[in-house]
Amino acid sequence: MSKVHHDRTHHAKKATGIGDPQCFKGEAGKPKFKAGDSVRIRDLPDFFYTRCQTYTRGVVGTVTLAVYESPAAEDEAWDNTDKPEWFYSVKFRQKDLWPDYPSAYPNDTVETEFSERWLEKA
Amino acid sequence: MAKVLGEKKGAAHGHEGEHPPAPMVDEVSDFEVLEMAVRELAIEKGLFTAEDHRRWTEYVHSLGPLPAARLVAKAWLDPEFKKLAVNDGVKASLKVGVDWIKSPPTQFGTPSDYCNLRVLEDTPKLKHVVVCTLCSCYPRPILGQSPEWYRTPAYRRRLVRWPRQVLSEFGLQLPPDVEIRVADSNQKTRYMVLPVRPAGTEGWTEEQLAEIVTRDCMIGVAVPKPGVTSNVKMPVHRAVHPLQHGHS
Amino acid sequence: MALLENDDLAPIGVLEGISHRGRPWVDLAAQYGVTNPDPPWKVTLDATCDILAAESCARIDGRVEASEPVLPALERRSEEDELAATVYAGVPFPERQLLALAHSLIRRGLFDEEELARRMERVHERLTSA
Repeated sequence: MSKVHHDRTHHAKKATGIGDPQCFKGEAGKPKFKAGDSVRIRDLPDFFYTRCQTYTRGVVGTVTLAVYESPAAEDEAWDNTDKPEWFYSVKFRQKDLWPDYPSAYPNDTVETEFSERWLEKA
Repeated sequence: MAKVLGEKKGAAHGHEGEHPPAPMVDEVSDFEVLEMAVRELAIEKGLFTAEDHRRWTEYVHSLGPLPAARLVAKAWLDPEFKKLAVNDGVKASLKVGVDWIKSPPTQFGTPSDYCNLRVLEDTPKLKHVVVCTLCSCYPRPILGQSPEWYRTPAYRRRLVRWPRQVLSEFGLQLPPDVEIRVADSNQKTRYMVLPVRPAGTEGWTEEQLAEIVTRDCMIGVAVPKPGVTSNVKMPVHRAVHPLQHGHS
Repeated sequence: MALLENDDLAPIGVLEGISHRGRPWVDLAAQYGVTNPDPPWKVTLDATCDILAAESCARIDGRVEASEPVLPALERRSEEDELAATVYAGVPFPERQLLALAHSLIRRGLFDEEELARRMERVHERLTSA
């Protein structure tokens, strides 16, 4: 049986000194959304693995920032890194996330990130 | 025999004129043995090399909250640096000696921290607090290892749902019209909070300011106060060992 | 994706034994008056977790092959959370992180219980001989 030799050389995509997600810069093309856009979180089927939290599904929020380009977590988990997407930071009002959030605190929010596939214009 | 040196505690005992030895744990625990056994087996099976492990241990050992505290202090003193910190956290980190990309042994960032720090700026009307509901991601390269309570399902599930309740358990209450923004680091971004500079710190040096910016302030569960230089004392919810008898 | 199935969360004899008879740091530190909040092996444990979550490149017969991480962070943490709520409930931190790691590795077939037990004996012998 051939001996496995572990080597710290990185393969093409991950050159040292560049970092992740920086290494995917320029690979996702034009972002579909921009800061200020109103978006709804799509309720896509999860195949075993997702980083899109259940508590955000179907909720409408506002894009605060297009943050970086990267393969979607759902692809990266299966080692499909060929099609990076834009990632966005989206802000939600707490009262839109939880129907019983106390109305005494009308300004409270949650901010979290989504890859483009999870967002649709609202 | 494996020994651990600790800080001195209590009065001298023993002989006159001699310094009492620093307290040491004078026994080998099963956990100590288990950790070593797992590591040795992993090396034997070729999962990693001893040399790689040594380098990672050195790196993890080097991490702590001081660089982040200095970043906050610098931002308070220099509006241009504050802008840089808010717009490019990774570049700003370099100014406090933290290279998210090249400091870790991979020269590519770490597998769980990535390289996208966002510094969240508080204002009198906006208070940020950080969580990772999925697994407890944390900005380790600049803030050090996360505290235990941050990793518990209790914190992770409750903070996003009942932030004001959780914050009040940490002793922090905010006016109802303030926006409490929970930042959930579910992807590759890691967050740290840049709190509002408190009153009573006029004329302070960067060092003096950094001293009051505790780890808890940068997670967002506390706010900096003159004279307060340590983290919040959580009520100790230690899991008591089920078969323990007779130990204090 | 190598997420563990329900069966894999079942107790593992060797680890069960340690979880019951092992003395956690919180007790050892209190007994000996040591104020370090963490045991000395915490840092090396974290390094192990990091390194197992990293991608690596292996050279096999002259070909470079990128290999998947042995134990990605999200999987390790999910399993740790599940085990902490069930099999290792009552074990303090960071001992439960350590037990969960060993559990995850055994269930993935990276080593087995007997190997671990034998290695622990050898390590214990080495650490307790004068």
